[in-house]
Amino acid sequence: MKRNKPLALVAGAALLTLAACGGGSSDDGGTGSGSDREFGDQEGGTKDAERQGPAADVEGATPGGTITVYLPGDPGPDSLDPTGGWSVTGNSIQQALTSRSLTQYARDEEGQPVLIPDLATDLGTPNEDYTEWTFTIREDATWEDGKPVTAEEVAFGICRSLDSEAFPSGPGTEYSKHYFAGAEEYEGPYTSKDPKCENWDGVSVDGQDITIKMSVPFPDMDYWGAFMAMGPAPLGNASKPPNYGTQPLANGPYKVDSYKPNEELVLVKNDQWSADSDPGRHQYADSFVFKFNQDQAKVDEIMLSDNADSQTAVSTSLGSDKYNDANGQLGERLVQQTSQCVSTLTPDYTQITDINIRKALAYAYPYEDVWIAGGEVPGVTRVPANSVMPPGMAGKKDFQVDGEQITYDPEKAKALLEESGAEMPYPITMVYYEVDPLAKATQDQITKGFEASGFKVKAIPVQESPYNIWLDPDNKVNKQLNLRGVNWCSDWPAGSTMLPPLLKGGAVYNTALFDEPSVNDEMDNINTLPLEDQAAAWGDLDEKIMTEYFPIIPTAFRNDLFVFGTKVGNPTGDGSIGAPNYKDLYVMQ
Amino acid sequence: MSAETAGPETLGSLSSEPEQQDPNSQKAKEISGKSPLRIALGRLSRDKIAVVCAIVVLFFIICAVFAGTISKLFGVSLETGLASQYVDGLNNGLPKPTMGPPNGPFTWEHPMGVAPRTGEDNLAYWLHGCRISLMIATVATVVASIVGVIVGLLAGFLGGTVDKVLSFFIDMFLTIPFLLAALTLAPILNDRFALSDNYATIQKFSLICVLAMFGWMGTARLIRGEVLALREREFVQAARVMGMPTSRVLFKELLPNLAAPIIISVSLMLPSFVALEAGLAFLGIGVTDGVSWGQTILKAATPTYFREYPQYLWQPLLGIVALVLSLNLLGDAVRDALDPKTRR
Amino acid sequence: MFAYVVKRLISGVLVVALVSMAIFLLFWYGPSSPAQPVCDRETSNRCTPARLEVYEKTLGYDNPVYEEYGKFVKGVFVGRTITIASSEYQCSAPCLGVSFRTKQPVKEELVSRMPATFSVAIGGAFLYLLFGVPIGVAAARRRGTVTDKALVSSFLFISSIPYYLFALLTWLYLTLTFPVPLFSDTGYFSFFSEGPWKWFSGLFLAWVALGIFGCTQYTRFTRGAMVEALSEDYIRTAKAKGLPARTIVYKHGLRAALVPVVTIFGIDFGTLLAGTIFTERIFEIQGIGWWSLQAVQGRDLPVVQATALFSAVVLIISNLLVDVVYSVLDPRVRLS
Repeated sequence: MKRNKPLALVAGAALLTLAACGGGSSDDGGTGSGSDREFGDQEGGTKDAERQGPAADVEGATPGGTITVYLPGDPGPDSLDPTGGWSVTGNSIQQALTSRSLTQYARDEEGQPVLIPDLATDLGTPNEDYTEWTFTIREDATWEDGKPVTAEEVAFGICRSLDSEAFPSGPGTEYSKHYFAGAEEYEGPYTSKDPKCENWDGVSVDGQDITIKMSVPFPDMDYWGAFMAMGPAPLGNASKPPNYGTQPLANGPYKVDSYKPNEELVLVKNDQWSADSDPGRHQYADSFVFKFNQDQAKVDEIMLSDNADSQTAVSTSLGSDKYNDANGQLGERLVQQTSQCVSTLTPDYTQITDINIRKALAYAYPYEDVWIAGGEVPGVTRVPANSVMPPGMAGKKDFQVDGEQITYDPEKAKALLEESGAEMPYPITMVYYEVDPLAKATQDQITKGFEASGFKVKAIPVQESPYNIWLDPDNKVNKQLNLRGVNWCSDWPAGSTMLPPLLKGGAVYNTALFDEPSVNDEMDNINTLPLEDQAAAWGDLDEKIMTEYFPIIPTAFRNDLFVFGTKVGNPTGDGSIGAPNYKDLYVMQ
Repeated sequence: MSAETAGPETLGSLSSEPEQQDPNSQKAKEISGKSPLRIALGRLSRDKIAVVCAIVVLFFIICAVFAGTISKLFGVSLETGLASQYVDGLNNGLPKPTMGPPNGPFTWEHPMGVAPRTGEDNLAYWLHGCRISLMIATVATVVASIVGVIVGLLAGFLGGTVDKVLSFFIDMFLTIPFLLAALTLAPILNDRFALSDNYATIQKFSLICVLAMFGWMGTARLIRGEVLALREREFVQAARVMGMPTSRVLFKELLPNLAAPIIISVSLMLPSFVALEAGLAFLGIGVTDGVSWGQTILKAATPTYFREYPQYLWQPLLGIVALVLSLNLLGDAVRDALDPKTRR
Repeated sequence: MFAYVVKRLISGVLVVALVSMAIFLLFWYGPSSPAQPVCDRETSNRCTPARLEVYEKTLGYDNPVYEEYGKFVKGVFVGRTITIASSEYQCSAPCLGVSFRTKQPVKEELVSRMPATFSVAIGGAFLYLLFGVPIGVAAARRRGTVTDKALVSSFLFISSIPYYLFALLTWLYLTLTFPVPLFSDTGYFSFFSEGPWKWFSGLFLAWVALGIFGCTQYTRFTRGAMVEALSEDYIRTAKAKGLPARTIVYKHGLRAALVPVVTIFGIDFGTLLAGTIFTERIFEIQGIGWWSLQAVQGRDLPVVQATALFSAVVLIISNLLVDVVYSVLDPRVRLS
């Protein structure tokens, strides 16, 4: 889901890093002062279906005050419509503060995210083969106008998520469309002029119970319920897009006071929200002010100055050139949070057919140099990756493909190339985003590393997001490439949101064009296993794919850095989404 | 009159407004029997500022022409190894102490230090940046002058409808916001040729086209005005009466008399193109392969690097300022020397 | 005179039309689809080719270019409805379209960014005159003295530096190295909602950079015009009449000298109003120039189009006004 976060860097600056940023080695220089930071790591999703409101108080929390959140280089959501929210920014803010959904995450004592009920009274009840899920909607949740949130409204909200024309950026285009019964044919309440959603019978309401039917087994429905798209929407014209997106009706502890797209979002207390109805959220601060599109350098100055402005402020990122200062000065107010993202290089599986060449590429990639040139802090914002599944995923295994972490090793790469019997130098064609000087710099490093390892690189400069090239099979640049890349973040901590999107035959983001029938079958099969076995099965599959095929080169796991002002209480990150833990923040009085 | 401006946002003026001269402040000597250009040269050589500026410009030209040789003399080159050999990723990507300032003592291996994050040698990049800057500015000036002279000649000499149409285009191009146009055009041109093997050359070429496309109007106006005056002079009238073909009149009779205005417009254009090239790179457009003063400035002008490694910013910045300044002052002196008012 | 103004207006309209066509064509035949930015943005960068096609269709990019240009022109005069995927946006005349990145009506955003750019322009231009003219007059009166020479050469020096470097150094030194206590938080803050002081302090450094740099030119212009005016016959007559030097310089000399200065000022001011890209980029002022830079980088066709047209219109009008004012100020000039 966090894929659009990189977009943040104005004008796609970060996109490039997508293509280029890798991660992998650097056990040597990569440590240092960075390694002794407390990691906002996570061990994989746990669930607590019994959790009831009100949420336990945060120790020492006091009410009142205003928290200002700076989002450097992040344009923020275009629309506040919950159904359209798939960006880290929009989802993390709104799901935590204004827009409730079926389920939600809470942060436990160890900093791990725990899936707990939200509008539903528990985490839902699936049938035998996960093709039908029933959620009971609680009766005491209310809208900001005081009216109760009804099961019909939740069902309508779910129905809205099927309208991929009205909400092209909504996560429903991926999950609702794919899993819900009859969703493929139904175009949604707006596009098919069915404002009451009468023509889709995938969801049914019975008293406070709503039942969703699936077309294929969907064991992760409870996770999917934590998206604000799986929440209620007022019936009829009241929630018609695009107008609803500027002033959505809140049902969380805060409501929208004012919203200027790309500039500012002000949230104030919603006095209709009652703590008893919500097992996960708090309402400590009087208001939140989100400032989008901020200048990174300027925000860094503010946050490091510790003046009256910055004491109650939070910044969602830190310029890498400020890491040293910040690390020394801020202590625990600088929070490092794994963002459940992996950067990869994807050799074209149909062209680079020899696993030795793909491994040679992995050894030829100068991980640390790429990070430095790209403005990352090795070992801090980028850490070496061993597989596709980022740390924190349920079932993630700590294996190494070749017994130890793959690092930059041109000699080994050459040896592998020789073993494969391929002609040397082996030609590699890739693209880089020219508009961003950092992307150009990282490409230079990649080129140097590859050419020192027996490859010959042709790097084609492009003026738009490399994804536009990689995803278009008819693009004439794309046809020349044999090395692409993709940067992927999980939508929830289960392997099903990492492996199939990247490595299933025919998946849109499968830029490696990897397509092995046995792997495809295994992916389908895991979805039908008992819930408790699935995590381990994904972990095993991850290891199997990497050791047997090595179709994708994970170059780095990504970490986010958050900066908290000295008067912001409980400075923590939200392990489920790569954002500050808005739910539990307060202002120290 | 219309849209010529001297405002700073147009980046060094492309204006052809010669400075108002004070007829009394300079005592012009009576010189006879020399061509106007000879007279002007003589005056220039006695102008101390002009001579100093000429030397500075010459220095830059030498740097540009012999960029490769000079780099070799110092043992530096554009070729750089992997970044981690040069810079410290945990210290904001600043150069390691062995690479010279700011963290270590001066070293002859990298006389001007290395760039943060990538470890590129600053001297080599400075020299080659100088080459790019001068090359682009010079070629663009030549192209823009040729276009301007031709348009000006035609408009001024043919008059009538041709004049009206050409003047309209001059006005139109003056109305188009240059920066916006360049910003829009450059990436589109670049994208067109992204697959080409000599992409770097094409990129420079398209930059030259963009610069020339919006730089010719001043010359065209100046020439047009001169031609309008010359057209009525006896020798031109005589040539026409004798039935000389128009092209001959244009190039044999008129052009030689336009040397002064052409030199003036070149002297205005050259420094403004040097400034523009770097300015566009600073905005992220134009040359993108890193060998450009403007791009280095863009990378260096961040608060952290400016505080901890100001040399990195100052090197290209001083290059541009010194070059543009001396070209401008030299151009001023040339215009003074050519000014008929001071020749009286 | 009336006929002249009409003629100029017609040619101005022609220029605007050509400029807008050129930009339209550039994007239309540019290498990537004009719908790409809106698709990238709306789908949070998950713009698959199939989705791109939907956007191209609803935005009309599968129609011939002249048809779409016709729609654009029609929108400017009578307004139109713009469809992006399944969302409809009403855009009333003069409709400049909907931003492909923010989906806000371009016209409204343009209007909302005007105060920032106008603030920069007015403050900067004010300083041009405030410093430029008096210093120029003073230099002209002391013509030939050391003061004069020092002033002229130092100002020539400053104005020979590329402006954006001057502004960049101003910013780096005055906000980072020696932060001016009250003014180092540069940017545009609304005069009304954030208060006049915040507005002033945010723009102050930008004005200083723009004003100091620009005033050097005005000093030179004013000095030149003054020197010329003071050598006119009527000044000699005035001197012979025994008028006090003050009266001669300010009443007779300055009045004549100001005419060319005012005209150049008019054009410069127009240029500033049309967008101060470098000033806004360096001092982080989110005005029209900054906006257009963002739009160009994001390939936001409607915004690029609108900002280019806006600057062209401002330039044309300011030039025309200057010409008219000039003919009024200087009776020797006849417009024809």
